[in-house]
Amino acid sequence: MLIHKDMKMADVIHLNHHLLHVVNRFGIQLGFGEKTVESVCEQHEVSLAFFLEIVNTFHDSSYFPVDNMKEFKAGMLVEYLHRTHQYYMNFKIPEIEKHINDLCLDNSLEEEIKQLLSNFFQQYKFELTTHINKEEQRVYPYVLALENAIETGNNTDELIEKLKIFSIHDYEEDHDDVESKLFDLKNIIIKYIPTPKDSRILNVILHEIFELENDLNNHGHIEDQILVPIVEKMEKELTARIQKNVQE
Amino acid sequence: MISPTLQILIIEPSFLIREGLKTLLSQIGLAYRIEEFEFTVENIPKLIQKTNPKLVFLNPALLSDKEYFNRLEASLSEIIFIGLIPLEVPLNKQSQFDYLLNVFAPKAELIKSMESILSKSGILIPDNDSGTLSDRENDVLKLVALGLTNNEISEKLFISIHTVMTHRKNITRKLGIKTVSGLTVYAILNKLIKAEELKGTIDN
Repeated sequence: MLIHKDMKMADVIHLNHHLLHVVNRFGIQLGFGEKTVESVCEQHEVSLAFFLEIVNTFHDSSYFPVDNMKEFKAGMLVEYLHRTHQYYMNFKIPEIEKHINDLCLDNSLEEEIKQLLSNFFQQYKFELTTHINKEEQRVYPYVLALENAIETGNNTDELIEKLKIFSIHDYEEDHDDVESKLFDLKNIIIKYIPTPKDSRILNVILHEIFELENDLNNHGHIEDQILVPIVEKMEKELTARIQKNVQE
Repeated sequence: MISPTLQILIIEPSFLIREGLKTLLSQIGLAYRIEEFEFTVENIPKLIQKTNPKLVFLNPALLSDKEYFNRLEASLSEIIFIGLIPLEVPLNKQSQFDYLLNVFAPKAELIKSMESILSKSGILIPDNDSGTLSDRENDVLKLVALGLTNNEISEKLFISIHTVMTHRKNITRKLGIKTVSGLTVYAILNKLIKAEELKGTIDN
């Protein structure tokens, strides 16, 4: 079912409660009353079209962003992606960490096993952090600089140099290992960790990992299917303009 | 578990039944390509020749008494015909099908019949692979977990790099673990290696 502007925001959450985190990223919190999606977006000064595309992509992974996605400002996308990063780093990862720490207090599990699990998660966290930092420090500023250059018609020499050596494709490629680690972690927990006395903690950890994975998949989907095409278009446009300037 | 894309022909007037059949097939996990036709087909053999299916789902009601598809024709003998029976079907018509599928059957029964038809016709090959690692795979896994490269493993076990890679693929498929550090965790949890051994290899 497609989420549309005249639906009540409350019904959106009834339809898929996982969307609550997504809605929060737009600065929208619970307590919608009878307001529609449109009026809530208006109230929070959120672009309705953008909001709809994002929640629909999250709700139904086969919902493929239509052409109008390409009309969105890169800055808007970057802001959203930045907020999802914050959600992972400030909320989701600490949450899982807390549960793993709880598990480590369980005396029914061998010390070695607890260490293995906790180390593996730390490795994952490190890789995820590295990946996120790279995007925040290198990719997003580049995207914003491109957009700025196109809008203002001014391109700095720095950007021209960067355009020569860097392309958005370069970063598209390295999602892989981070994903695999999380995939492995799921199977290790589901299949191989012996049951502790209080098995609920392990269930909670697993549940959190599935949620994180689902969110990350959507995040990657937005980057690959929406951000990358927009940036590609900007790269092309700017390169063409620079070449034209050189010829003149 | 299943062979590559299966060519399927559905001849059935009801859109709902055609859609339901497709849902059923995908729930079984078949990769298929479907040609659908909704009305009576004058010449079924001709249609079959054109679409070249392995499986044909056909509503017997579409066959008038005169119409007869000659199953004995060599070109058709390889094809499996499944009759979709919404109502009682006269025996002479039933006999034209390899199998019959009752469209009024409940879900569990439908899936069961479909799976049984598909395995009897050799399309669905049951997964005998229990998923436990063979001795050789365990050997490879131990060395991977200890941090050896494919090259080193190949030398140590006297097998080709290609074989090492095949083993690694199978290990990942069976365990559901892709990364080296994940495999290391598995190996220690299952006491294939000891954590101390690991430290040794890293220090070296």
